[in-house]
Amino acid sequence: MTMEFLNLKMPMVRGGSHAKAGTDPHSPDRRIEQIVFAVALIVLVAALPSLNIGYRFLSIAITTGYTAIALYGLGLQFGQAGIMSVGHAAMLGIGAYTAAMLSNHLGIGFWAALPASIVLAAIAGGLVGLPSLRVSGQHYIIITFCFCALLVICLTNGGSFTGAATGLDVGSIPRVLGINFDKLFNYYYLVLGALAITLATTYAIMNSSYGRTLRAIRENEQLARAIGINVDMHKIGVFMASGAFAGLAGILQVYYLRHISPTLYGAFPSLYLALMVMLGGGRLLYGPLIGAIIVNFLPEVMDLNPVDSRIAYGVALLIVILLLPGGVSSGLLAIYRWVGGLLVRRGSKAGS
Amino acid sequence: MEILIQQLVNSLSVASVTILIGMGITLIFGLAGIVNFAHGEFLMIGGIATWFFVGMGLNFFVALVLAMVVVGALGFVAERGLFRFTLDRPMNGFIMSIGLSVILQHVVVRVFDEFQKSTPDPLNTVWVVGDVHIIAMRAVVVAITAVVVAITYFGISRSRYGLALRASVADQSTAELMGIPVRRYVTGVFVYGSILAGLGGALMIGLFPITPFVGSVIITRGFVVSLMGGLGNVNGAVLAGLVLGLVDGFSAGYGYPEWTDAYSLVIMIVILVVRPQGLLGGTLGPKAS
Repeated sequence: MTMEFLNLKMPMVRGGSHAKAGTDPHSPDRRIEQIVFAVALIVLVAALPSLNIGYRFLSIAITTGYTAIALYGLGLQFGQAGIMSVGHAAMLGIGAYTAAMLSNHLGIGFWAALPASIVLAAIAGGLVGLPSLRVSGQHYIIITFCFCALLVICLTNGGSFTGAATGLDVGSIPRVLGINFDKLFNYYYLVLGALAITLATTYAIMNSSYGRTLRAIRENEQLARAIGINVDMHKIGVFMASGAFAGLAGILQVYYLRHISPTLYGAFPSLYLALMVMLGGGRLLYGPLIGAIIVNFLPEVMDLNPVDSRIAYGVALLIVILLLPGGVSSGLLAIYRWVGGLLVRRGSKAGS
Repeated sequence: MEILIQQLVNSLSVASVTILIGMGITLIFGLAGIVNFAHGEFLMIGGIATWFFVGMGLNFFVALVLAMVVVGALGFVAERGLFRFTLDRPMNGFIMSIGLSVILQHVVVRVFDEFQKSTPDPLNTVWVVGDVHIIAMRAVVVAITAVVVAITYFGISRSRYGLALRASVADQSTAELMGIPVRRYVTGVFVYGSILAGLGGALMIGLFPITPFVGSVIITRGFVVSLMGGLGNVNGAVLAGLVLGLVDGFSAGYGYPEWTDAYSLVIMIVILVVRPQGLLGGTLGPKAS
């Protein structure tokens, strides 16, 4: 048991290639475990509103939902390909502003704007990713920060086209099959559906040959290049996927808030997105979701004011990086494995 | 013409603060191998500390020295308590410094408040040379920066400590074998860079009011300056700081002030993509991981 615990934990600390052992799709019992867990999660989350949890809780859940969608993009690019960004809110902003501008200038509603937001954010993601082909490591992170700050300046100086510093308003989502999305309850399920699609896509990417290639690039880019992997194409691909998720999150955000302004997509939101991914852990499937839940629900649960809760995030981030570089998700997984190992041993003793 | 000269002096004083922050970053990033995103917050704390001490009735220049001590101590604690553990994984150090910057900002907001703070003009004199009116404080800021730049330049390029430092950047293990206490040098550089940030903050609040959130604006400038000049290259940081300060100053006076920050961002992206080692050459910083 101890060995298993170490095997699980050590590679994560060192960033080794075995870190994915926990989600190895080739072992059948792990796959069953995953499916059971996913189903339990979906049932639990879908049942939440019927538990009469109140308006405030539901709205935090919606915020958590679309934040998590954006985080999955960042999780892919950081966790799988190993490229961090501290400008990810800019991608969210592209998605949100695309939707808001289509609605304001052309009168195009939610459903038609949805693909536009996703596609434009994906293109923006690919463009911002271009410098990463030449520049790596911390230098690239600084570039992402610059792009984000540039976008905010452009949005602020865009006059009536972008709504300048005051931002833009949007209407409500048109009814589909008689479902009124003005009701928080229904909006929650919309976000939940989007989150489920995001999770499924992420799972598919992580367990595809594409995901394995990304991890190969993360672990050793030169080696990956040497064995004939088209590193550049794969990198741009993951940036586009990351942007697409952010675009989806952005349009969900703008139609939830009904009003957006440039400060929502500046340096601070970007830093918080990076913080959430690190906190939850980018390499495991549920890492970004855990990060979003912790950051969004922590102030509510612990009854902190915004200033205190931000100090708490910062401290939590320092602790996670120093003690648990794989994020909270890897810590939880280690505990789960450890408890599981204990139970199995107990069980086999009782059986023999 | 008078306006031009006045504009020049004003820009130089703004450039001074930019140079101080850029120099701190260039030393810490290029020589100690740490990207400290909280460096802007160090500067902000230098300014707030100065404001606090001045509010207690101290002379501005005494408060300035105290602020440098405070920020230096903060740098020491941050290096020994946090960055020391991530030296072999610089990316984690970078992300940790983001956390640190969030903490520092909000601790300041919590202890004081989020509104902007200013000190009364410490010198309160205006020198008149011909038709040009020069605010004395601005000239003093430029002079102090010039002295600090000279000390840093000779310290790095001429003294045996600077030599040892550059040796440990070039080849850490060989430097260690030669008896250079590399770790101690890393701490030393980090603390020195932090003190520069403290000085920059103190001078900044002598010029204009600052808020607890000024750090994230100033950090971008700092990165532009240090990356433009080449990491670890003091001359480069000074030159880049001057260019950027003048461009900023003149675009605020003559161009499109609302796009001022955009220039520096575009310059930085282009430089990072085209010449990651900076215009004047530098250490390229720590190995990416």
